[in-house]
This record gives sequence, structure tokens and C-alpha cells, in this order.
Amino acid sequence: MKLLLAGISYKTAPVEVRERLAFSDAVVPSALKDLKAREGVIEAMILSTCNRVEVLITTDDTSDAAAVVDGFLIDRHSVSADVIEQCLYHHEGQAAIHHLFRVAASLDSMVVGETQILGQLKAAYATAKAHGAVSGWLEGLLSRAFGVAKRVRSETGIGQMAVSVSYAAVELARKIFGSLSHRTVMLVGAGKMSELAARHLRRSGVSHVFVTNRTPERAAEMARLFQGTPVEYGRFTAMLPEVDILIASSGAPHYILTKSDMQRVIAVRRNKPVFLIDIAVPRNIEPSVNKIDNVFLYDIDDLQEVVNANLRERLKEAEHAEQIVAQEVERMMSRLQAQEIAPTIVSLQEQLEQIRLAEIDKVRRRYGPITPEQEEAWHALTRGIINKIAHGPISELRMQAGRPEGAHVIEAIRKVFHLQD
Amino acid sequence: MAEMSVLWLRAAAVFYSLGLLHAILMLVRKREGLFRFALGAFAIGAVLHFVSILKEGVATNRCPIGNIYETLSMCAFLLTLLFLFIYWRYRMESLGVFIFPLVFVMSLVATLGNPVSAWSSPVVRNVWLTVHIVLVLLGYAALVLAAVASLLYLFQERELKSKKPRKFYYRLPPLGTLDEIISRSMALGFVLITLAVIAGSTWAFIELRTNWIGEPKIAISFFTWAVYLAMVFLRVTVGWRGRKAAIMVVTVIGFSALTWVAHARLGALLLKQ
Repeated sequence: MKLLLAGISYKTAPVEVRERLAFSDAVVPSALKDLKAREGVIEAMILSTCNRVEVLITTDDTSDAAAVVDGFLIDRHSVSADVIEQCLYHHEGQAAIHHLFRVAASLDSMVVGETQILGQLKAAYATAKAHGAVSGWLEGLLSRAFGVAKRVRSETGIGQMAVSVSYAAVELARKIFGSLSHRTVMLVGAGKMSELAARHLRRSGVSHVFVTNRTPERAAEMARLFQGTPVEYGRFTAMLPEVDILIASSGAPHYILTKSDMQRVIAVRRNKPVFLIDIAVPRNIEPSVNKIDNVFLYDIDDLQEVVNANLRERLKEAEHAEQIVAQEVERMMSRLQAQEIAPTIVSLQEQLEQIRLAEIDKVRRRYGPITPEQEEAWHALTRGIINKIAHGPISELRMQAGRPEGAHVIEAIRKVFHLQD
Repeated sequence: MAEMSVLWLRAAAVFYSLGLLHAILMLVRKREGLFRFALGAFAIGAVLHFVSILKEGVATNRCPIGNIYETLSMCAFLLTLLFLFIYWRYRMESLGVFIFPLVFVMSLVATLGNPVSAWSSPVVRNVWLTVHIVLVLLGYAALVLAAVASLLYLFQERELKSKKPRKFYYRLPPLGTLDEIISRSMALGFVLITLAVIAGSTWAFIELRTNWIGEPKIAISFFTWAVYLAMVFLRVTVGWRGRKAAIMVVTVIGFSALTWVAHARLGALLLKQ
């Protein structure tokens, strides 16, 4: 049996090509059916996301798996063979397993460590399973891949650092306050990003949201969105002592919060820390505010800087994750190899045991009844002999398992001992 | 001090101890419910205290500031009056955290002027001293924990202020968590050290009979405790964090180390070599 993983990803093909080769959810079932019907194909799975299209198949030993997949893609998408040749990668056997594990662990993703890909892979597997395209072998491989992804996630920090600006803001808030429950947020002005950050904060347990805006209707509307309280725009500085996290994104052309404002606020707060997020351009908060003790001011560039640092940190974690993946591939391979030789070993042992029992029977018939002690001695003697005989071929089998010429050795041993398939 | 005056002062100290209890509960549990109760006890203590001072004045026929104990008693009484006045005028509850323990310890020390006979048994003497030492050491441990957490706080604060996250940012706990650890260990340390000071001063009083307060090592202990009290007060009321808090903790640790050196006579040992 052969395993092949063929596909394209953002690394090998531009989006123009990827979109042409993509499978929408609706067509995947029929595509799977088509693929499985092709010659030699035993199992099949299709993973199609915006960053990659990958086909995973197992075929019997005689068929040319790569040609099958290439033909399938050309037929389904009416693309030229040139394109396929340029962009498609093919991984067989161990390389395919390695690639699959890396994809599952989000090491091959554009944003290393993002979690979406694992969900997409699980969905692809579910679809294939629902349509009877995977059974047994691929099933085992995929569940192992999910296990590897889980291990990478729990043993490395690959998915822990925020890689979007709005998440980075939430993460910073956690670094400042610890738990976010019983914290209050104030939104000054509206905007996509501040809304997103506020939503994340709300989900992280922030207890209350104040909203202020130059147009009171807009403030009321936003407040409804977060079950918060609208605050009159002219009065928002008076509210500040009660606010732990402030997200400013108003269109004001000047600073709406100055250092002296903030000094007053921090004194009233008895030095309890404040986190100010200024995502407005031009900026809303005087930059020197950051110099006040216990005030942490981040503007949009600062947040981006945190995101960049997080990405670098993720890449560092990815190195560790690669080691885990390599280790898991190794483990998977040795398990597969053990599976490959296991039937031969079992039938060899059965064969020898049959011979032994037959011979003991013969001897017993010739010499008549014997004492239990004698019988025990015969068994011990004969068992010792067959174990010694079997030792050589079995250790040879174990050694040859997984090697390219291994199949020949297995074949030879089967022939020598007259083992039936 | 006259016998009757000391008795009245002891009664006052008992009431003042309720104020100390409130301060401790507020530090450790952050509960302020006991304040009114503590304030009442404090006021009753003040009345008893006044009687004590009056008795002393009548007995000695002069203003009772003739020796250290009388002076301490007077000083504590004036502090009490001042606090009650400030509270009546400005409702500054938080000041209690500072004043209650201070007044209690001052009046406690003031009651320890007249030497008592001796130890009832050597066992009591040893156990008493052991309790004092164990309390001090536990208090030091809590203080060291607070210092370590303060140091980590400084690192994390710098990372957050610099806006360029490096190793510390990813490895260190959040500021809020560190702050919590500092608060808790500082409060716990304060409670332990306060109890140790009470145990230690009463032990020294019985052991040394007269002039125990004049011993330099005891004087420095009281000073260290006062610095600690000031630190706790500043933290609770003004909310000193970060650099200021770290400097305070390190200062208190420095004084604690000095106190230890004074007690262990390490100085003499070092000089010999």
C-alpha cells in the first residue's frame, strides 16, 4: 500500500492558482467519490482552504499514485498540466506523514501557530469519513495527526501569543491586570478595531463597558452592543478614575487626554494601574502620558510592535514544535513498520509451533504413555529448539522492516518457511 | 509609674488592641467592616488612657513626662486625640491602619515600665523567646517574598513601559498578580512582625527588669517596625507600587537585616576577626 499527499499551498502557488484548484464544500463529496473511483485508490481525503489545497490518498502498491492525483486535479479543474507541474508538491510515505503532521500542528501555516487549520483538517476528515472515503488506515493516521497537533499546542507556546492588534491589546491588558474580571473599559469614539478589541475584552471577563462619542446616538448604539453605559462626551474625563482600560479612537484632530489630566486621574485612583490604548490617527492621547507611573499607553504602532515580537516568539516556539513533529513521525514510522512485519512473524511462529506439536504427537504414538514429568521435559526441549530457530529470521525481519529492500527479505523468509499469505 | 496608672493604661491597651485587630484584618482580608467597632474601642481606650495619665500626674504631682514610659504614654495619648479629631473632621478611615497599631504598641511599651518579679518557670521563658524568634523569621520570609515579587514587578513594568516585549514579558506573571503577591506577603509579614514585637518587648521587659527599652538592639527593633508600619500605610492609602514600593521593601529588609545583626551580635563577631 502506498501513501501520497499532493497539493499546493500559499508557499508554492499564488492565489490565482489556488482559487482555481480549490474545492468548495459543496463539491467535495462528489470529488471524493470521483477520486476513490480511480484506479488503485483505496482511501482519499481532500483539504481545501484559502491557503492550501491538498489531496491525501492511499493506493495499492502497483498504481502510480502521483499520476492518479495529477489526472484527478486536471480533470476536475480543467487546468493545464504545466500549472500542475509547476505548483504541485508530492510527498510519499514518510514525507507525506511529516507534511501532514506539520500542517495539523500549524507549522506550515502562513501565521505559524494559528488554530484554524486544525479545525479545517478535522472538518475535511469528517466529510471524507461521512462519505466513506476514509476507513482504517487513513483514519489511524489522521487521528495521530490530531494528537500531534494537540501535543504541540500543549508543550510549546506556539499558539499563546496574540498575532492580531486587537488581541494583542487584550493580552497586554492581561499582562497588566492579571484577571480582567471586575475591570471596566471605556471606548472613546467608534471604529472597527476598537469595537473588536472591546468585544475581545468583554469576552475575557471585563465587567463593564462605558461608551462615549461626540454623537450621543452613536454612543447609545455602541453601548447597547456591549450592554454598556453611554457617557456624555464632555464628561468622559470625569469618569476616568473608574476606568481601568481606555480605548481611544476618536477623530479629534488634537489630544483629548493630556498628561496633566492623567496625573489627576492617577492620583484619584490611588495609583491603581491604567491601560490606555490609542488607536486613533492622529493620536488622541498625549504620548508623554506613558511617563506617569502606573499608566501604560500604547498607540497603534506599539501594538503592532507587540504583534511582531509575538510572531518572532512564535517562530522560536516553532523550532521546538518541529522537533516534536519529527519525533512523532519517527514513532509513527516504527509503528507502521511493526505492523508490516507483524503478520509474517505471527505465521512463522504458528508454523513452527504446528511442526513441534505434530512431532510430539508422533513420538507419543510410537512410545506409548509417558509420565507428566517426561511430557513436560519434551515440551521444554522442543520449545527451546523452535525458539532458537525462529530467533534468526525474526530479528532479521525486525531489522529489515521499513528499509527499501525489506520487502524482498520478508518475501524470501516467507518462501523459505513455506508461509501462506 | 504608679501602680494604679499602669492598671488603667493596661485596660486602655486592651481596647487599643481591638484597633490593631482591625488594622490586621483590613490588611490581610481587605475587610473594613470592623472599623466602627474598632473606632469605638479606640475611643474607650482613649478615656481609660486619660484616666491613667491623670492618676500618674496626681501620684507624682507633676506633668507625667518624667521618663521614657510616661513620655511614650503621653505621646500615644496625644496621637489618639489627634486621630480622633482628624477622623471627626475629615473621616479619614485609612489613617487608622497606621495609627491603631502605632498607638497600641506605644501604650503597650509604656505599661512595661515597672519591673515584675521574675519568670514563673524557665520553660515559659524559653517558649516565649522561641515564639518571638519564629514569628520574626516567618515575618522575614514574607518580607523576602514581597521583595522578590517587587523585583519581578519592576522587570515586568519596564517591559510594559518600553513597549518592546522581550523574554521577561513572556515569562513573568502579570503585574496584577505580582501586585497581589506583594500586598499579601507584605501584610502577612507585618502581622507576624507586629506580633513578634509584642512578644519580644514583653520578653525583654520581664528578662531585663529595668531599662530594657534603653538597649540599642531593642530601640532599633522598634525603629524597624515603625518603618515597616509606614510602608504598609503608604501602600494601603496612597497605593505605592512599582519602583517606590520596591525601594520601600528593600529599605525595610535593610533595617530588618540591621536588627538581626544587632540581635545576633554579628557585629561584635565580625570585629573580632
